[in-house]
Amino acid sequence: MGNSINVAVMIKLEPDLSEGNVSYNPDGTLNRSQTRSILGAHSAIASRAAFYSKVLYDSNIKVCTMGPPTADVALKQSMEICNADELHLYSDRLFAGADTLGTAEAVKTGIERMGSIDLVISGHRAVDGETGQTGPQTAWKLGFNFLGNVIGYSIDTETRTLHAKRLIEMQGLYNVLEELECPLPALISIDPSYKERYTTVSQRLKYVRLQKEAAARAQNYKQFFKIWTAKDLGVDPKYVGLPGSPTIVYKVERIPKAKASRKAKVIDSSNADELNDLGKKLLEMVNSKG
Amino acid sequence: MKYQHLFVCFEHDDGNPLSVSFEMLGEARRLIDDFNKKYSLDEKVIAIILGHNIRSLCSEAIQAGADGVIFSDHPELRYPKIVIDTKIISSIVRDRKIVSEAAQNTSPDYIKPRYMFFGADSIGRHLSSTVLAELESGLASDVNKLVIDDVIITHEHKTKGKAEKYEKTLFMYRPDFSGFLWTQILCLDNKNPELSREYSPQAGSIIPGVFQPLKKDATRKGKIVEYEPTFSGRDLKIRITKREVLKSEIPLEDKKAVVAFGRGIKDSPETNIRLIEQLAKQLGAEVAISLPLSKQPYKVSESIKSTYFIPARVVGTSGKKISPKLYIAIGISGAVQHIVGMKESDFVVSINSDLNAPIKDESDVFIHGRLEDVLPALIDSIGKLKGGK
Repeated sequence: MGNSINVAVMIKLEPDLSEGNVSYNPDGTLNRSQTRSILGAHSAIASRAAFYSKVLYDSNIKVCTMGPPTADVALKQSMEICNADELHLYSDRLFAGADTLGTAEAVKTGIERMGSIDLVISGHRAVDGETGQTGPQTAWKLGFNFLGNVIGYSIDTETRTLHAKRLIEMQGLYNVLEELECPLPALISIDPSYKERYTTVSQRLKYVRLQKEAAARAQNYKQFFKIWTAKDLGVDPKYVGLPGSPTIVYKVERIPKAKASRKAKVIDSSNADELNDLGKKLLEMVNSKG
Repeated sequence: MKYQHLFVCFEHDDGNPLSVSFEMLGEARRLIDDFNKKYSLDEKVIAIILGHNIRSLCSEAIQAGADGVIFSDHPELRYPKIVIDTKIISSIVRDRKIVSEAAQNTSPDYIKPRYMFFGADSIGRHLSSTVLAELESGLASDVNKLVIDDVIITHEHKTKGKAEKYEKTLFMYRPDFSGFLWTQILCLDNKNPELSREYSPQAGSIIPGVFQPLKKDATRKGKIVEYEPTFSGRDLKIRITKREVLKSEIPLEDKKAVVAFGRGIKDSPETNIRLIEQLAKQLGAEVAISLPLSKQPYKVSESIKSTYFIPARVVGTSGKKISPKLYIAIGISGAVQHIVGMKESDFVVSINSDLNAPIKDESDVFIHGRLEDVLPALIDSIGKLKGGK
C-alpha cells in the first residue's frame, strides 16, 4: 500500500438554515434555540469530495471536528457521505470560545495525531461564522500546501502529485479557471460548485457498493468514533480556546437602519390602477434607448 | 515602537487592479490621517504589491492614498499564488530595513505592522488567513466598518478579569450572515500575566464595494521600494498549468433590467419562481437572487434549482455588484450584504409584505403586499399593454 492516499476531512456542526428547519426571530435574526444543528452544507460537499478519493484511490478517510459532544451528529452525517474509516471529535471545555487561529491549532494537532496524512479536505466556509479562515490557517500550521476554491481534483498516486481545478472570482473584473499541480501533502478547501465525475463503469459500481457500506457503517458510527480532549491531543492550553485566540467578540448589536437613500412611493397591492400605471412605466423604461 | 503603520495588501490579476484595492487604500488613508491627528503620531499607509511588470500599479497606489509602496517583481509572482505570496508578504512586513525605506520614520525597534488590510474575496480571504497564521495574530473577516479608539476591557482571559486600557484598538465591524447583526471584533494582547502575549498586527479582510476610494491625485508623492524575493525549490513545485479567463455564465452586469428574488418566495417557491420568470421575460430582464437562495434552502424541481439557486446569480457582497436601469427586488428584505450589490441601480422597485423591510429605503417604488397577489396583477397589466401594441 505504498501508494495509498490518507485523507482527513475537517467538518463543522452548524445551524440548519434550510426552510422548514430554520427559525428566525421577528427582528430577522437567527433563533438559535429553535434551529437544530446538522452537518454544515459546505462540510457535506467536502465529505463528498473525500468520497471521490475513496472510490478512485481506495483512500483511508478520517473525519474530524472540534465542537461540543453533540457534534457527533455531524460526524455521523459526514460518514454517511464519505464512508469514513474513523471519526474524531475534539471536545473539551478548554477549546470553547476559540477564534479561527485557536481552532486551527486544535485541528492541526488532531490531524498530526492521525499519523501520515496526504490530503486534508475542508469546506468553503461555515454558514454561521462565514469566515472561511480555519481551513487555510490549519494548512499553514501543518506546513501543507494550500489550494482554495477547488472545484475538482485528481491525484497521481505514483508521483504523489495533486492536480486541482480552482474557480477564482476576480471581483469586479472576471472569473478565472485555474489548473494547478502541487506535491502532497496538501490541504484543499472545496468550492460550492465542486463537481466530481465517475467516468467508468467500475467506478460507478464501486460508488454504489461503497455508499451501501457507508450507510451501514453510519448505523454503528460509535464503533469508529473517538473523543479527544486537550490532554489526549497534547495541545498547550495557551494556544487553544479563548486563551489562544487573538480576537474577541466585543459587542453584538443590531445594524442601525441606514439613512434612506431613496424616498419610496408606496403602492398597496390592492390598488389595481397604480399597479397598472407602474407596469406601463416599467415597460417604457426597458424599451427606451440608452 | 514595536508595531507601526497600516499595511494594505494590494490585489490585482496580472496587472489589472481589483477595485477593492483602491477602496482599502481610501479607508486606510482616512483612518491613519485621523489616527495621526488624535495620537500626534506620524504613521504611514504602506501598500504591498506582488506581481510581474507592476511598476504602474505602484504609482496608482500612491495616487490612491498610500504613503509608500513595497513591491516585488518576478515572473513567478505574475498571478496570485498563496504559498509564496504568504512567505513574501510575511517577510516584507517583518523586515525593518525595507519598511523603513518605505516609511522613513519607522522606529528602530519596529517588529511588525500595527494594522493590516486584505480584500474579503477569492484572493484576500485565504491570503489573509495564512499571513496571519504566519504572523500569529488576529484576523476579522468581511469587515464593513472600521474605527480606531482606546477602550477599557475586562475579560476573563485577556485581562484576568481586571479592567485594562487598550490603546489604538481597531474596531472591526462585520455583519453576520443574516445581515441584521453587527459584530465588533477586536484583536487584543493577552495582558493576563499567566498568558501574557502580544498580538499584532490587528488585521481584517474588507468587503469589496463598501468603502469609497479617494479621487486619484497625480500630485501625491510617495516612496516606492523594491523587495527582492527569495524562493525555495519546494514552493516552486506548485505550478499553474492552465489559466483561463471566463465570461460570466449569467450576464447580470450587461442587462438593462434585473428581477431579483429572495426568501419571500418561501410559501410556494416553485409557483412563485415561475411567475418571476414570466415577469422577467416580459421586461427582457435577467433573473438574480439574494445570497440565502444560493444555499438552496427550498425543495424545488431540479431544473429550478440548477437554473436559479446558483452563486452566479447572487447580487451583493458575496456576488455581483450591478447597476441596471431597472432593478426589481421581490421578497428581498434588504440585508446590507444585498444592498451593496444593487444600490447603484437607476430605478428600484421592491415588492414586500413587510412595510418595515430595509429594502424600502433603497426603493423608488415599494409595493406593499404578498408577492403571490402582486406578481399576477403586474404580469397581467404588462401583458395587456404589450398585447395592445
